[in-house]
Amino acid sequence: MHTLFAIFPAQQFALIAAILGLPLLGAFVNGVFGKRLGRDAVRLMALAALFGSFACSLVAFFMLRERAHELGHGELAPNPRLVWTAWHWLALSGRDALGSVNVDVSFAIDPLSGVMMLVVTGVGSLIHLYAASYMWDDPSFHRFFCYLNLFVFSMLVLILGDSMPLLFVGWEGVGLCSYLLIGFWFTEEKNAAAGKKAFIANRVGDFGLLVGMAMLLYYTGALDFEGIRRGAGGLLDPRGVQVWPLGAGFPSWLVGWLPDGIEKGLTAQRLAFPATLCGLALFLGCAGKSAQIPLYVWLPDAMAGPTPVSALIHAATMVTAGVYLVCRLNFVFVLSPAVMATVATVGALTALFAATIGLVQHDLKKVLAYSTVSQLGYMFLGVGSGAFTDGFFHVFTHAFFKACLFLGAGSVIHAVHARIHDTDASQDMRNMGGLRKYMPLTHATYLASCVAIAGVPPFAGFFSKDEILAKAFETKIKAHAIAGAAAERIGPLWTPPDWLGPLLYFVGIAGATMTAFYMFRTYFLTFWGDFKGWKVTPGWKEPGHDEHHGHDDHGHDHHEAFAPGTGRDHLEGPEPHESPSPMTIPLVILAAFAVGAGFLNATILGETLHAPELMTMEHWLAPVFAPSKGDVVVPAFDASHAWMLAIPGLIAAAVGIGFAYFAYVVKGGEPTRNIAARAPKLHQLMLDKWRVDELYDATVIGAVDELANTAVVADKWVVDGVLAKASAAFVGLFGAGLRLFQTGKVQTYAAAMVVGTLALTVFFYLPHPDASITSDPATGTFRVQAGPGLGYRYRWDADGDGKLDEFDSDGDGKPDDKFGPRDAIEVKLEPNQSKQVTLAVENAFGRHDTRTITVARPAQEQPGAPVLMPRPAPRPPPPGG
Amino acid sequence: MIHIQHYLVLGATLFTIGAFGFLTRRNVLVALMSIELMLNAVNLTLVAFNRLHAGNLALVAPGGRNLHHGGQMFAFFIIAVAAAEAAVGLAIVLALYRLRRSVRTDEADQLRG
Repeated sequence: MHTLFAIFPAQQFALIAAILGLPLLGAFVNGVFGKRLGRDAVRLMALAALFGSFACSLVAFFMLRERAHELGHGELAPNPRLVWTAWHWLALSGRDALGSVNVDVSFAIDPLSGVMMLVVTGVGSLIHLYAASYMWDDPSFHRFFCYLNLFVFSMLVLILGDSMPLLFVGWEGVGLCSYLLIGFWFTEEKNAAAGKKAFIANRVGDFGLLVGMAMLLYYTGALDFEGIRRGAGGLLDPRGVQVWPLGAGFPSWLVGWLPDGIEKGLTAQRLAFPATLCGLALFLGCAGKSAQIPLYVWLPDAMAGPTPVSALIHAATMVTAGVYLVCRLNFVFVLSPAVMATVATVGALTALFAATIGLVQHDLKKVLAYSTVSQLGYMFLGVGSGAFTDGFFHVFTHAFFKACLFLGAGSVIHAVHARIHDTDASQDMRNMGGLRKYMPLTHATYLASCVAIAGVPPFAGFFSKDEILAKAFETKIKAHAIAGAAAERIGPLWTPPDWLGPLLYFVGIAGATMTAFYMFRTYFLTFWGDFKGWKVTPGWKEPGHDEHHGHDDHGHDHHEAFAPGTGRDHLEGPEPHESPSPMTIPLVILAAFAVGAGFLNATILGETLHAPELMTMEHWLAPVFAPSKGDVVVPAFDASHAWMLAIPGLIAAAVGIGFAYFAYVVKGGEPTRNIAARAPKLHQLMLDKWRVDELYDATVIGAVDELANTAVVADKWVVDGVLAKASAAFVGLFGAGLRLFQTGKVQTYAAAMVVGTLALTVFFYLPHPDASITSDPATGTFRVQAGPGLGYRYRWDADGDGKLDEFDSDGDGKPDDKFGPRDAIEVKLEPNQSKQVTLAVENAFGRHDTRTITVARPAQEQPGAPVLMPRPAPRPPPPGG
Repeated sequence: MIHIQHYLVLGATLFTIGAFGFLTRRNVLVALMSIELMLNAVNLTLVAFNRLHAGNLALVAPGGRNLHHGGQMFAFFIIAVAAAEAAVGLAIVLALYRLRRSVRTDEADQLRG
């Protein structure tokens, strides 16, 4: 360890370059040379890059642990960090000339980013291994791994970046890779559309993130996380912010005609805390990336991508970036209880809302997608309640069990492909069933993950979800002390009412019940009963039934049952089969974590048994969340209270699983059919995902389309018409005029040349007595400088007597009346005085000309402003004549 | 005695004849000859001025040897350029003749706007 620190000092931790560089190298090699390298080399490159990066991450993580031990682990332990500054990036000017804000390309591993880095490279490695087998037959194998490696690189930049701009680079990078991978099979319109949808929904969120970043820069005077933490107090600026157009800025012509009361209401001074606006803007970014209401719509569609992509990007890593950002900026979010309440409420509502949709979907991956949205909601409920550790811990456990579930689903789809070659049909749970006996390993790992996500103790999901719900119930965010100073001007910082926490808790419990139900619904439909994939084979007949019953497998409702009598004696062709070992090994490892990872932060057990080793994660992350600790009020741990709060969660899991078992195994799906039949409209509405997509189509997208149509008209008439065609016609007019001069006849040009030469000859033959005047305001001295010319010689009349003065022009010591080389004279003037100076010039041809110049000094001195009033004067008699 | 004025008047006359010829004649060959005339008028002027300034004390090295041959040097340059111009010019005339079956300048207006 000592040697390692000698090679990689904590302040110049170059190992990060290897962690980041390996996936980038893999992306480059596979992207540029992949086609020529062949599958084996591409696989080797991609896997070596990821596993190498993971190995480096492990080393870095243990070094960070060592460093943390060195720094001590007290209550106020400094945040252990391993920093690598690659290069200086840019300098921005801060607010009110606070100086420049330096932004470096700097990466840091601290407890939070360290854990996240391990998850990304670790789970990423397993999924790469899985994908190498899953995607083996795809013609674009190399392209897939290029994108996947690039994704891991971008994700690591997002995590390890030590400043907001760098995080944003990673944020956009993962968004790009997500887009590319969702639309990986872009030849199908539907997949390409899903990619576009994800990209555009994320743009809406990124807008918020950019606004939030700008506010951070303005109010905290920094963009690196350490600087933001130091300057976070600036976000409670007592001057407040007025949100245009509300308040005094409301244009009066717009509201002047309204009744007085309404007008006053609209234009009354209303200020908000910058912290609130900044937090909301940042949360908009998080909601986009992490698929929260109202921007969640892209994630279910993102399942159009290959299944390993769904596991890696749209379940385990990228979509948790929003939660990561909230954790990273916990000291910003916690400044505004309103923002925290928004985060928690949106999270809880998303958790419930997505779960209701997940209840009825038939597509296995769609259910998992809504489950992901729902679980992300729980994470936001956690971090929004101030339970940053628990929210992040759910990111951690969710990465394992959801990746395992997705990979298991991939394995199932892979197996079902033996019979069903249509993409949609192969993911439809109504065509599955009975896979338990064909693929035991997949079955076991899927079950373990289902149990974990359903929240059955002692699996990982129980500890993370239970703790989130408990904290949501009892934690409060109090208004920061600094906010008091602004109370007079802005009003007190809004804090949520006391009933909000318990309400969110019960919303969460309701969501948890549904989670348990729909997860076990997928489990029972997929793995129990008999395999129904045979039915999809054309020409299949159900034995012992009427002919017309056979193909009717595309309606809904009555197919969730396990149709009896589809025995193995009717099969023709290959059977579903267990996946090869490169696909099952990742499943087993992930399932192991899904089972055991909960003990890293089993707070409820740890507190009850007084065993701090069961709360490793909390202890480990404490320095990261220390800055926000003062604003989060957590009641002292009370074992009976904690278990009381845990029991509804346990009941939720039991009810959900029990009902799923009853409905799909005992009764063969009849109860759910009955419920659906009793409320067919509601069922259809849930099946159509509450028609939110249609709502967006009708409102937002329709409005944008209309705007685009308007813009087309403006483009056609204003841009193309007035700006382009009219200006072109104007220029063309001059062109038409000038074209007359270009006759193409060489003699015309020669004649023009002769005329021009003659004009120049005349110009040079005649003398030009021109002068410029510069003044010195201090002394009132004006200098008259004559212009130069061919062989020019000068005489002056400086005293204003009408006759040219005599100077010594030839240097013989005696004044004479000849022209000389003296080209400037100086005149001294009192204020408000003016004088006439005459200049005579003789040129090389002996021609003379004179000019009288008036030099005036204004009464009010205007320093530095030269006064020039040349005026042609009647010619004096020729000198000397 | 032939003075500098004689040379200059002769040069100016030749130049004017050349310029006038170039502007008025439509035959390319005649135009080329006119250009030649103008160039040689300039040559004559340069050599004449060179001769005039040969006695300028400031330009004469100790010992009285005249070192100033700038005008004559220019004349040689111009003769060389004129030779090159004649070669290129005649090639163009030939090409023009092949294209249009004519060497009249007012018919060679392909480049008009």
